[in-house]
Amino acid sequence: MSSEAIWITIIGVSLATLIPRILPVALFSGFEFPKIVIKWLSYVAPAVLGALTALSILAPAGELHISVSNLYIWAFIPTLLVAIKTRSLFLTLSVGIAAMAILYNVIM
Amino acid sequence: MDRVELTVGVKDAVPIVLGYLPLGFAFGVLASQAGMTVIQATAMSVLCFTGAGQYIALGVIQVQGAIITAVIANLLVNVRYFLFTTSMVPFLKNHVNPVIASILSYGVTDETYAVAINRYQNHPPTSAYMAGLNITAHLGWISSTVLGAVLGSMVTNTDQFGLAFALPAMYICLLVLLITKKSDVLIALVSAILCLVIGYIWPWSMENMFNMVIATIAAATLGVMIREF
Repeated sequence: MSSEAIWITIIGVSLATLIPRILPVALFSGFEFPKIVIKWLSYVAPAVLGALTALSILAPAGELHISVSNLYIWAFIPTLLVAIKTRSLFLTLSVGIAAMAILYNVIM
Repeated sequence: MDRVELTVGVKDAVPIVLGYLPLGFAFGVLASQAGMTVIQATAMSVLCFTGAGQYIALGVIQVQGAIITAVIANLLVNVRYFLFTTSMVPFLKNHVNPVIASILSYGVTDETYAVAINRYQNHPPTSAYMAGLNITAHLGWISSTVLGAVLGSMVTNTDQFGLAFALPAMYICLLVLLITKKSDVLIALVSAILCLVIGYIWPWSMENMFNMVIATIAAATLGVMIREF
Protein backbone atom coordinates (compact mmCIF):
# COMPACT_ATOMS: atom_id res chain seq x y z
CA MET A 1 0.00 0.00 0.00
CA SER A 2 1.27 3.50 -0.77
CA SER A 3 2.09 5.82 2.11
CA GLU A 4 -0.86 8.00 1.15
CA ALA A 5 -3.27 5.05 1.19
CA ILE A 6 -1.96 4.01 4.61
CA TRP A 7 -2.65 7.51 5.95
CA ILE A 8 -6.19 7.48 4.55
CA THR A 9 -6.73 4.08 6.15
CA ILE A 10 -5.50 5.39 9.51
CA ILE A 11 -7.87 8.36 9.36
CA GLY A 12 -10.82 6.27 8.17
CA VAL A 13 -10.31 3.69 10.89
CA SER A 14 -9.90 6.34 13.58
CA LEU A 15 -13.23 7.92 12.58
CA ALA A 16 -14.81 4.48 12.76
CA THR A 17 -13.64 4.11 16.36
CA LEU A 18 -14.34 7.70 17.36
CA ILE A 19 -18.03 7.72 16.44
CA PRO A 20 -19.36 4.72 18.45
CA ARG A 21 -17.46 5.86 21.54
CA ILE A 22 -18.35 9.52 21.57
CA LEU A 23 -21.84 9.54 20.09
CA PRO A 24 -23.78 7.79 22.90
CA VAL A 25 -22.42 10.09 25.61
CA ALA A 26 -22.91 13.18 23.45
CA LEU A 27 -26.45 12.21 22.39
CA PHE A 28 -27.94 10.56 25.47
CA SER A 29 -26.52 12.71 28.29
CA GLY A 30 -29.40 15.17 28.17
CA PHE A 31 -31.95 12.42 27.86
CA GLU A 32 -33.89 10.70 30.65
CA PHE A 33 -33.81 6.93 30.12
CA PRO A 34 -36.91 4.97 31.17
CA LYS A 35 -36.36 2.80 34.27
CA ILE A 36 -36.39 -0.44 32.32
CA VAL A 37 -33.64 0.81 30.01
CA ILE A 38 -31.48 1.79 32.98
CA LYS A 39 -31.98 -1.67 34.42
CA TRP A 40 -31.10 -3.24 31.08
CA LEU A 41 -27.97 -1.10 30.84
CA SER A 42 -26.94 -2.09 34.38
CA TYR A 43 -26.64 -5.68 33.17
CA VAL A 44 -24.38 -4.75 30.26
CA ALA A 45 -21.31 -4.62 32.51
CA PRO A 46 -21.57 -8.14 34.02
CA ALA A 47 -22.50 -9.52 30.59
CA VAL A 48 -19.54 -7.83 28.89
CA LEU A 49 -17.10 -8.92 31.60
CA GLY A 50 -18.41 -12.49 31.50
CA ALA A 51 -17.91 -12.61 27.75
CA LEU A 52 -14.50 -10.89 27.88
CA THR A 53 -13.24 -13.26 30.57
CA ALA A 54 -14.47 -16.35 28.73
CA LEU A 55 -12.94 -15.22 25.44
CA SER A 56 -9.62 -14.20 26.95
CA ILE A 57 -9.23 -17.63 28.60
CA LEU A 58 -10.81 -20.00 26.10
CA ALA A 59 -9.92 -18.15 22.88
CA PRO A 60 -6.68 -16.35 23.74
CA ALA A 61 -5.49 -16.20 20.14
CA GLY A 62 -8.86 -15.34 18.64
CA GLU A 63 -9.95 -18.95 18.04
CA LEU A 64 -11.62 -21.31 20.49
CA HIS A 65 -8.99 -23.45 22.17
CA ILE A 66 -10.59 -25.71 24.74
CA SER A 67 -7.99 -28.34 25.63
CA VAL A 68 -5.59 -29.29 28.42
CA SER A 69 -2.77 -27.74 26.37
CA ASN A 70 -4.35 -24.30 26.75
CA LEU A 71 -2.17 -22.72 29.45
CA TYR A 72 -4.71 -19.93 30.01
CA ILE A 73 -7.16 -22.43 31.49
CA TRP A 74 -4.56 -23.60 34.02
CA ALA A 75 -3.54 -20.06 34.92
CA PHE A 76 -7.23 -19.19 35.31
CA ILE A 77 -7.67 -21.47 38.36
CA PRO A 78 -5.21 -19.87 40.84
CA THR A 79 -6.06 -16.42 39.50
CA LEU A 80 -9.79 -16.85 40.14
CA LEU A 81 -9.15 -18.21 43.64
CA VAL A 82 -6.94 -15.24 44.54
CA ALA A 83 -9.49 -12.81 43.08
CA ILE A 84 -12.32 -14.28 45.18
CA LYS A 85 -10.19 -14.60 48.32
CA THR A 86 -8.40 -11.21 48.28
CA ARG A 87 -10.57 -9.02 46.00
CA SER A 88 -7.30 -7.24 45.21
CA LEU A 89 -6.53 -6.37 41.61
CA PHE A 90 -2.83 -6.08 42.34
CA LEU A 91 -2.54 -9.53 43.96
CA THR A 92 -4.73 -11.14 41.31
CA LEU A 93 -2.63 -9.67 38.52
CA SER A 94 0.63 -10.69 40.20
CA VAL A 95 -0.52 -14.27 40.72
CA GLY A 96 -1.96 -14.48 37.21
CA ILE A 97 1.21 -13.21 35.53
CA ALA A 98 3.45 -15.38 37.71
CA ALA A 99 1.30 -18.46 37.05
CA MET A 100 1.48 -17.86 33.31
CA ALA A 101 5.25 -17.26 33.37
CA ILE A 102 5.81 -20.48 35.35
CA LEU A 103 3.48 -22.52 33.15
CA TYR A 104 5.06 -21.18 29.99
CA ASN A 105 8.66 -21.69 31.04
CA VAL A 106 8.11 -25.06 32.70
CA ILE A 107 5.82 -26.70 30.18
CA MET A 108 6.78 -25.20 26.83
CA MET B 1 -9.26 19.21 38.21
CA ASP B 2 -9.45 17.03 41.31
CA ARG B 3 -5.93 15.79 42.00
CA VAL B 4 -6.94 12.87 44.20
CA GLU B 5 -9.35 11.57 41.56
CA LEU B 6 -6.72 12.05 38.86
CA THR B 7 -4.20 10.01 40.86
CA VAL B 8 -6.72 7.23 41.48
CA GLY B 9 -7.43 7.14 37.74
CA VAL B 10 -3.74 6.91 36.89
CA LYS B 11 -3.23 4.16 39.48
CA ASP B 12 -6.22 2.20 38.20
CA ALA B 13 -4.68 2.30 34.72
CA VAL B 14 -1.44 0.59 35.80
CA PRO B 15 -2.71 -3.00 35.34
CA ILE B 16 -4.07 -2.00 31.94
CA VAL B 17 -0.73 -0.54 30.88
CA LEU B 18 0.94 -3.78 31.97
CA GLY B 19 -1.45 -5.75 29.80
CA TYR B 20 -1.06 -3.40 26.85
CA LEU B 21 2.71 -3.80 26.89
CA PRO B 22 2.86 -7.09 24.96
CA LEU B 23 -0.21 -6.23 22.85
CA GLY B 24 0.97 -2.79 21.74
CA PHE B 25 4.47 -4.12 21.27
CA ALA B 26 3.20 -6.88 18.99
CA PHE B 27 1.16 -4.32 17.05
CA GLY B 28 4.27 -2.17 16.55
CA VAL B 29 6.28 -5.15 15.32
CA LEU B 30 3.55 -6.30 12.90
CA ALA B 31 2.95 -2.75 11.66
CA SER B 32 6.56 -2.31 10.64
CA GLN B 33 6.48 -5.72 8.98
CA ALA B 34 3.37 -4.65 7.05
CA GLY B 35 5.30 -1.69 5.65
CA MET B 36 4.18 1.07 8.00
CA THR B 37 6.71 3.62 9.21
CA VAL B 38 7.25 4.19 12.93
CA ILE B 39 5.34 7.46 12.60
CA GLN B 40 2.39 5.76 10.89
CA ALA B 41 2.25 2.96 13.45
CA THR B 42 2.39 5.51 16.26
CA ALA B 43 -0.21 7.74 14.62
CA MET B 44 -2.54 4.78 14.36
CA SER B 45 -2.23 4.02 18.07
CA VAL B 46 -2.74 7.72 18.89
CA LEU B 47 -5.79 8.17 16.66
CA CYS B 48 -7.45 4.77 16.90
CA PHE B 49 -6.63 3.26 20.30
CA THR B 50 -8.43 0.02 19.55
CA GLY B 51 -6.51 -3.24 19.65
CA ALA B 52 -8.73 -5.49 17.56
CA GLY B 53 -9.55 -2.73 15.07
CA GLN B 54 -5.91 -1.85 14.51
CA TYR B 55 -5.00 -5.49 13.92
CA ILE B 56 -7.79 -5.71 11.37
CA ALA B 57 -6.55 -2.57 9.60
CA LEU B 58 -3.04 -4.06 9.54
CA GLY B 59 -4.38 -7.16 7.86
CA VAL B 60 -5.99 -5.05 5.15
CA ILE B 61 -2.84 -2.95 4.66
CA GLN B 62 -0.74 -6.10 4.43
CA VAL B 63 -2.77 -7.61 1.59
CA GLN B 64 -3.20 -4.22 -0.13
CA GLY B 65 -6.94 -4.52 0.43
CA ALA B 66 -9.56 -1.81 -0.05
CA ILE B 67 -9.54 1.00 2.52
CA ILE B 68 -13.31 0.79 2.83
CA THR B 69 -12.94 -2.84 3.99
CA ALA B 70 -10.80 -1.70 6.92
CA VAL B 71 -13.27 1.05 7.79
CA ILE B 72 -16.39 -1.13 7.63
CA ALA B 73 -14.72 -3.95 9.55
CA ASN B 74 -13.81 -1.41 12.23
CA LEU B 75 -17.34 -0.03 12.42
CA LEU B 76 -18.56 -3.60 13.02
CA VAL B 77 -15.92 -4.37 15.64
CA ASN B 78 -16.65 -1.11 17.41
CA VAL B 79 -20.40 -1.64 17.77
CA ARG B 80 -19.55 -2.94 21.24
CA TYR B 81 -18.19 0.46 22.21
CA PHE B 82 -21.62 1.87 21.49
CA LEU B 83 -23.03 -0.53 24.09
CA PHE B 84 -20.24 0.25 26.56
CA THR B 85 -20.53 4.01 26.44
CA THR B 86 -24.34 3.91 26.44
CA SER B 87 -24.26 1.88 29.65
CA MET B 88 -21.99 4.55 31.17
CA VAL B 89 -24.40 7.40 30.42
CA PRO B 90 -26.63 6.86 33.51
CA PHE B 91 -23.50 7.14 35.69
CA LEU B 92 -21.89 10.07 33.90
CA LYS B 93 -25.04 12.15 33.71
CA ASN B 94 -25.23 14.95 36.31
CA HIS B 95 -21.64 14.22 37.37
CA VAL B 96 -19.45 15.03 34.39
CA ASN B 97 -20.00 17.84 31.89
CA PRO B 98 -21.40 16.11 28.76
CA VAL B 99 -18.91 17.77 26.40
CA ILE B 100 -15.93 16.71 28.51
CA ALA B 101 -17.45 13.26 29.08
CA SER B 102 -17.90 12.83 25.31
CA ILE B 103 -14.32 13.80 24.56
CA LEU B 104 -12.89 11.58 27.30
CA SER B 105 -15.04 8.69 26.10
CA TYR B 106 -12.64 8.43 23.18
CA GLY B 107 -10.43 6.54 25.63
CA VAL B 108 -13.06 3.85 26.29
CA THR B 109 -11.72 0.39 25.43
CA ASP B 110 -12.61 -3.09 26.67
CA GLU B 111 -10.13 -2.60 29.48
CA THR B 112 -10.82 0.99 30.56
CA TYR B 113 -14.55 0.24 30.40
CA ALA B 114 -14.15 -2.79 32.68
CA VAL B 115 -12.20 -0.75 35.23
CA ALA B 116 -14.35 2.39 35.10
CA ILE B 117 -17.74 0.69 35.30
CA ASN B 118 -16.51 -1.14 38.40
CA ARG B 119 -15.51 2.09 40.10
CA TYR B 120 -18.77 3.83 39.17
CA GLN B 121 -20.76 1.22 41.11
CA ASN B 122 -19.61 2.87 44.37
CA HIS B 123 -17.97 6.16 43.37
CA PRO B 124 -19.53 8.91 41.26
CA PRO B 125 -17.49 9.50 38.10
CA THR B 126 -15.40 12.64 37.74
CA SER B 127 -13.68 14.07 34.69
CA ALA B 128 -10.37 13.87 36.58
CA TYR B 129 -10.77 10.13 37.15
CA MET B 130 -11.80 9.55 33.52
CA ALA B 131 -8.83 11.56 32.28
CA GLY B 132 -6.38 9.81 34.61
CA LEU B 133 -7.59 6.34 33.65
CA ASN B 134 -8.15 6.77 29.92
CA ILE B 135 -5.16 8.97 29.11
CA THR B 136 -2.71 6.82 31.10
CA ALA B 137 -4.00 3.68 29.38
CA HIS B 138 -3.76 5.44 26.01
CA LEU B 139 -0.17 6.57 26.71
CA GLY B 140 0.69 2.99 27.64
CA TRP B 141 -0.75 1.78 24.36
CA ILE B 142 1.12 4.43 22.37
CA SER B 143 4.49 3.88 24.05
CA SER B 144 4.34 0.10 23.71
CA THR B 145 3.52 0.58 20.01
CA VAL B 146 6.56 2.82 19.58
CA LEU B 147 8.75 0.27 21.37
CA GLY B 148 7.48 -2.52 19.14
CA ALA B 149 7.87 -0.52 15.94
CA VAL B 150 11.41 0.60 16.83
CA LEU B 151 12.79 -2.51 18.54
CA GLY B 152 10.72 -4.88 16.42
CA SER B 153 13.09 -7.60 15.47
CA MET B 154 15.20 -7.54 18.66
CA VAL B 155 12.74 -9.03 21.15
CA THR B 156 10.96 -11.93 19.54
CA ASN B 157 9.35 -13.74 22.44
CA THR B 158 7.43 -11.75 25.05
CA ASP B 159 5.36 -14.79 26.12
CA GLN B 160 7.94 -16.01 28.59
CA PHE B 161 7.25 -13.08 30.93
CA GLY B 162 3.66 -14.15 31.52
CA LEU B 163 2.37 -10.67 30.60
CA ALA B 164 -0.01 -12.30 28.14
CA PHE B 165 -2.10 -13.14 31.18
CA ALA B 166 -2.24 -9.58 32.54
CA LEU B 167 -5.52 -8.66 30.82
CA PRO B 168 -7.28 -12.01 31.43
CA ALA B 169 -6.28 -11.75 35.12
CA MET B 170 -7.66 -8.22 35.22
CA TYR B 171 -10.97 -9.31 33.67
CA ILE B 172 -11.25 -12.17 36.18
CA CYS B 173 -10.73 -9.85 39.14
CA LEU B 174 -13.02 -7.11 37.81
CA LEU B 175 -15.74 -9.67 37.18
CA VAL B 176 -15.41 -10.94 40.77
CA LEU B 177 -15.54 -7.37 42.10
CA LEU B 178 -18.51 -6.43 39.96
CA ILE B 179 -20.68 -9.32 41.11
CA THR B 180 -22.87 -8.21 44.01
CA LYS B 181 -25.85 -10.55 43.67
CA LYS B 182 -26.55 -14.03 42.40
CA SER B 183 -28.36 -12.76 39.33
CA ASP B 184 -25.10 -11.05 38.25
CA VAL B 185 -23.40 -14.47 38.25
CA LEU B 186 -26.20 -15.85 36.11
CA ILE B 187 -26.01 -12.96 33.61
CA ALA B 188 -22.22 -13.22 33.35
CA LEU B 189 -22.36 -16.99 32.87
CA VAL B 190 -25.13 -16.85 30.28
CA SER B 191 -23.26 -14.16 28.38
CA ALA B 192 -19.98 -16.11 28.53
CA ILE B 193 -21.55 -19.34 27.29
CA LEU B 194 -23.59 -17.61 24.57
CA CYS B 195 -20.51 -15.73 23.41
CA LEU B 196 -18.51 -18.96 23.08
CA VAL B 197 -21.33 -20.92 21.41
CA ILE B 198 -22.01 -18.14 18.90
CA GLY B 199 -18.28 -17.89 18.18
CA TYR B 200 -18.17 -21.66 17.68
CA ILE B 201 -21.14 -21.76 15.31
CA TRP B 202 -20.14 -18.62 13.38
CA PRO B 203 -16.36 -18.22 13.49
CA TRP B 204 -16.63 -14.88 11.66
CA SER B 205 -18.36 -13.45 14.72
CA MET B 206 -15.15 -14.00 16.70
CA GLU B 207 -13.30 -11.76 14.28
CA ASN B 208 -15.66 -8.79 14.48
CA MET B 209 -16.69 -9.53 18.10
CA PHE B 210 -20.34 -9.77 17.16
CA ASN B 211 -20.54 -12.82 19.39
CA MET B 212 -19.87 -10.52 22.35
CA VAL B 213 -22.40 -7.95 21.18
CA ILE B 214 -25.16 -10.54 20.66
CA ALA B 215 -24.35 -12.33 23.94
CA THR B 216 -24.39 -9.04 25.87
CA ILE B 217 -27.71 -7.92 24.41
CA ALA B 218 -29.30 -11.33 25.09
CA ALA B 219 -27.94 -11.63 28.64
CA ALA B 220 -28.90 -8.05 29.59
CA THR B 221 -32.40 -8.69 28.24
CA LEU B 222 -32.58 -11.82 30.35
CA GLY B 223 -31.54 -9.68 33.33
CA VAL B 224 -34.53 -7.39 32.79
CA MET B 225 -36.92 -10.33 32.43
CA ILE B 226 -35.95 -12.26 35.57
CA ARG B 227 -36.53 -11.10 39.13
CA GLU B 228 -33.30 -10.04 40.81
CA PHE B 229 -32.07 -12.59 43.30
